Amino acid sequence: MKFLRSIAVAALLALPLLTGTLWQDAGAAEPKKAASVDELAKKYDSSSCKACHEDIYKEWEKSLHARPMFGTGRTAATIKTTVTNGLTTWKYSGVKKPEDVTVKHLMICAKCHLPQLSEATDDVAKEIVKNVFIYTDPKASDDAREKAIDVISKANINCLVCHQRNAIIHKWVDGTPQKNEVYGSKNGEHADPAHPVMKKSPVMGESILCGQCHGLGPNFELEHPTQCATLYASYLFAYRADGGQETCQECHIKKSKLGHNMQSYRDPGMAKAAVDFKVDMLPHQWRDGAKMVPVNVVKVQILNKAGHAIPDG
Amino acid sequence: MTAKDNKGKEIFKQSKIYMPIPQQLGRGDKMGRGPYEKSGIIRDTSLPPGRPVHENFDISFPSGEYEMTVDVELVYLPFGARDSDPFTWQKVTKKVSIEKGGV
Repeated sequence: MKFLRSIAVAALLALPLLTGTLWQDAGAAEPKKAASVDELAKKYDSSSCKACHEDIYKEWEKSLHARPMFGTGRTAATIKTTVTNGLTTWKYSGVKKPEDVTVKHLMICAKCHLPQLSEATDDVAKEIVKNVFIYTDPKASDDAREKAIDVISKANINCLVCHQRNAIIHKWVDGTPQKNEVYGSKNGEHADPAHPVMKKSPVMGESILCGQCHGLGPNFELEHPTQCATLYASYLFAYRADGGQETCQECHIKKSKLGHNMQSYRDPGMAKAAVDFKVDMLPHQWRDGAKMVPVNVVKVQILNKAGHAIPDG
Repeated sequence: MTAKDNKGKEIFKQSKIYMPIPQQLGRGDKMGRGPYEKSGIIRDTSLPPGRPVHENFDISFPSGEYEMTVDVELVYLPFGARDSDPFTWQKVTKKVSIEKGGV
């Protein structure tokens, strides 16, 4: 009897622990993953932002952030070579053909080009890869290529990626971004019913916000570390370390007057602002004994005025 | 950089590459190409922020020539070759001459 009572007490003691665990699991349950590019785009739909922030939205639409998996076409082409020259050639990648690519594989690009892909199923990775191959297929019709570009570009680095998902970096200090909140420069109410709370992000005006993607070097958190951008490392160790004071946002948003159409060298204003180029010439005649040897000395000075090395890589 | 004589004939051509040279898979002496195989830097000839890069080129005048026209271009090559999507960042063209005759 005493033994049975002990079991009963033990069971009662275990119950709260058990229910607590169950509640905790339920509370921490991951939201449903997007099963298509359309679903992923919907999950991160920022079109409602346009109603109040129309100018900013239009600026962003011109930027490569609006089509990060396509880029100028070069990004899509590189995703293809990642599959054909990389993933399918590596012994332990688990990828024998493009159809084998999963989210884990595509994250070696999407970590920065589409970070929200981590909230999607493998079907989304396959859909993107399939359309990248259609776009890069020289035999594909113009119509098929246009449709492929549309799919590749549908999910992107939009308002909700920078002003929500990636707006908080040190989560043990600042908390985890919440789906009903957007993050900017102040606290308050926000008119969008889907995001009624506006919170101040401590890093929205800091270079570290951009540094999350614009690179330190190899991405060691990946099973296969990739290295695309290294600009943030250059910014830290070659610019800030030498006394540079400006942030990414100050040059690429404010001084450029491009706002959220953040550009680099392809914008004539940015290209001009980034580099001073001075050429002097000194034609003269060197006297070698009795013989005059005419020579022109061309002196070139290139000064990179950006806050990072040029080019990135 | 190219230099041409008074008749338009090319008498000098030289280029320099400014870029971080990534290391293939973070090992050995080979350069990596795509982001999927880059993990390190072997050498860095990119333009550093805030520090001027100086280059000097000595171009001899061909015998009997007293003028030359020099084009100096800074070109961005996203794919590393001039036949794929290049754009000219800066370009300076100057015509120079040396004195004829004299002592």
